[in-house]
Amino acid sequence: MTWIDFPFYSSITGFLWITGLIFLFISYKKQAVTKIAHLLFIVGWAVIITFVIKLWLELDRPPMRTLGETRLWYATFLPAIGFLTYIRWKYKWFLAYSIAMATMFLTINYLNPETYSKTLMPALQSPWFIPHVLVYLFSYAVLTASSVVAIKGWYDSYKGNFNIETLRLADNLVYIGFSFLTLGLLFGALWAKEAWGHYWTWDPKEIWAFLTWMGYLIYIHYRYFHSHKTKQALTILALAFVVLLVCWFGVNYLPVANTSVHTYTQY
Amino acid sequence: MSKQQTEIQRNLWESPWGYAESFFIGVGLMITGFFLEAFVTTSNPLIIQYPTNVFLLLGYVVVLFICYKWFSSSQIIRWLTKVPASISSIVLITFLVMIMGTIPQIPSQNNIINNLGLNRITTNWAFILILFQFLTCLGLVSIKRILQFKWDNFGFILNHVGLFLALTAGVLGSGDLQRLSINVYEGKPSWIAKDLERNDVELPFAFYLNDFMIEEYNPKLALVDNSTGSISHNDGKNLYIVEKGETYYFNNFEVTVEDYLPNAIRFGMRYEPVNELGSPPAAYISIKNIENDSIKKAWISSGSYRYPYESVKMSEAYSMVMTIPEAKKFSSDIDILTKDGERINTVLEVNKAFKFKGWKIYQLSYDDKMGKWSDLSVLELVRDPWLPLIYIGIFMMIAGAIYMFWVGNKITKNN
Repeated sequence: MTWIDFPFYSSITGFLWITGLIFLFISYKKQAVTKIAHLLFIVGWAVIITFVIKLWLELDRPPMRTLGETRLWYATFLPAIGFLTYIRWKYKWFLAYSIAMATMFLTINYLNPETYSKTLMPALQSPWFIPHVLVYLFSYAVLTASSVVAIKGWYDSYKGNFNIETLRLADNLVYIGFSFLTLGLLFGALWAKEAWGHYWTWDPKEIWAFLTWMGYLIYIHYRYFHSHKTKQALTILALAFVVLLVCWFGVNYLPVANTSVHTYTQY
Repeated sequence: MSKQQTEIQRNLWESPWGYAESFFIGVGLMITGFFLEAFVTTSNPLIIQYPTNVFLLLGYVVVLFICYKWFSSSQIIRWLTKVPASISSIVLITFLVMIMGTIPQIPSQNNIINNLGLNRITTNWAFILILFQFLTCLGLVSIKRILQFKWDNFGFILNHVGLFLALTAGVLGSGDLQRLSINVYEGKPSWIAKDLERNDVELPFAFYLNDFMIEEYNPKLALVDNSTGSISHNDGKNLYIVEKGETYYFNNFEVTVEDYLPNAIRFGMRYEPVNELGSPPAAYISIKNIENDSIKKAWISSGSYRYPYESVKMSEAYSMVMTIPEAKKFSSDIDILTKDGERINTVLEVNKAFKFKGWKIYQLSYDDKMGKWSDLSVLELVRDPWLPLIYIGIFMMIAGAIYMFWVGNKITKNN
């Protein structure tokens, strides 16, 4: 069991997931159809997890070293989290979003077969690596979605037909995204203590991750106490997303970048 | 809307204080801080150590409690437990940290940056004063919710008390944090470490390095532009690992690794495997130009501190080089020798620290010029007695985050 078998397993999984999504969207509260959709998701997930386990056994090491392997993990975990979130919050589109992202990762892996392994520096060889990155990736995805909702809210109020439900949806997304953002930040701190000796060193990426966290913290507090000032809330949400983008892509272009341990793009 | 209109009509400093007053106070604190930075010269940043910081923490919590319990009707305490005070302090901390995230926190030539201390935000008075206001708000609302405990408040308490604990313990404990590094050579006991200011610190125990071990990845192949000397393949990322029998494609070249020797030295026309200090890896590659089907075979080597590297010119424009192998894993087999004559053996590795008498010992570095022949191992020793408190805070916040994910925002849902 190696990457040679990947196209076989991944295409089965992709097929099951996408069929599941189609079933879910045509189900319209028909319990039986929804159940079939659920079953398709679970079986698809079982197929991909089987591949991961077999690959792990074959390699005799956790398959977390190469970029392709991390993509495999994203593709495995994202739908699981998406499914859990869907069960809890009933957002179908959210499950679709995570499935789409996972399928994209599977496709990238399919197009870039990794017959050669890639190196990973010792500090990154940690059990914290995957949860830290995965949780952040997920959080960014959800918070990006919340900004899309905010833009819709802005557009609606410009048109004069703003609906408070739009902001409630943004709220739910921010709560989900913010809880994952908190987990990512704290997992990072715990990992840093194990790898670099201190949990917080004001590394540029850490600073901007902290600022992102603060941005959404302002939004949450503002929304909690001023639930009728929608325009201001949307503005805060938009500004918080700008900070998130600086953290995600922008840090490398700031004058502080060359001291960061997170500048993986140069590697 | 009309209710809010009338609210705006009220005078400044009229009870209850709102956003205008909050930002007025916050910005005032910040300016005071910058004045202190500019005109009150302090040679050293304020460092609070044990036991002062313990008394300070206990005193702070007691004062906060007293303030809430008996003075909650006073204007200032009421203001501090309200949202405008929290939001203004969060905004101002965000502003100051944003400065930290933009201006490099290193000595500067710029007078404004220097005088206002913008390159040392974490010890800047402006930051300390705003942080103090922030923590006071956080502490007071935490006490408020604890005293009015309901299960609905559970997540709130986890998040707020967790953050309060982690931050206060982190700030007050920073004076007790010790970070030392020590150079340990094979076959020689070492006990003099250096602190962050490069001062010598004598340890109550010694390290004896039995063996420093490195596992390396195989080197990688890189296509180099002859005119610029820079890697011109995949933007310099994701280079191919040298492995015997593998074939890779670079532009219109087909490169096959015919032989690979992890430790080799050139003897005449070819490389031979040896077991010698500083012997670099070498590979025998065949390069096929797909355009004209010409084949060229040659040895390449990444070189080491003892031997030169060797590349092969593929065409007028490109050469093939072998990169220096990267470390996969490095570890130190050490003995810790105590004054009582104890001898504790352990293996230190990156991400696998060893706990010893309140210290955490980390594998930090080695002589990277020597690579796998390094007989030097750099260890780091960290002592942070406040860590348990910080971890309690962090784990409360983790629990709070999971709670938050699961429960969501009930308030707006119930509206």
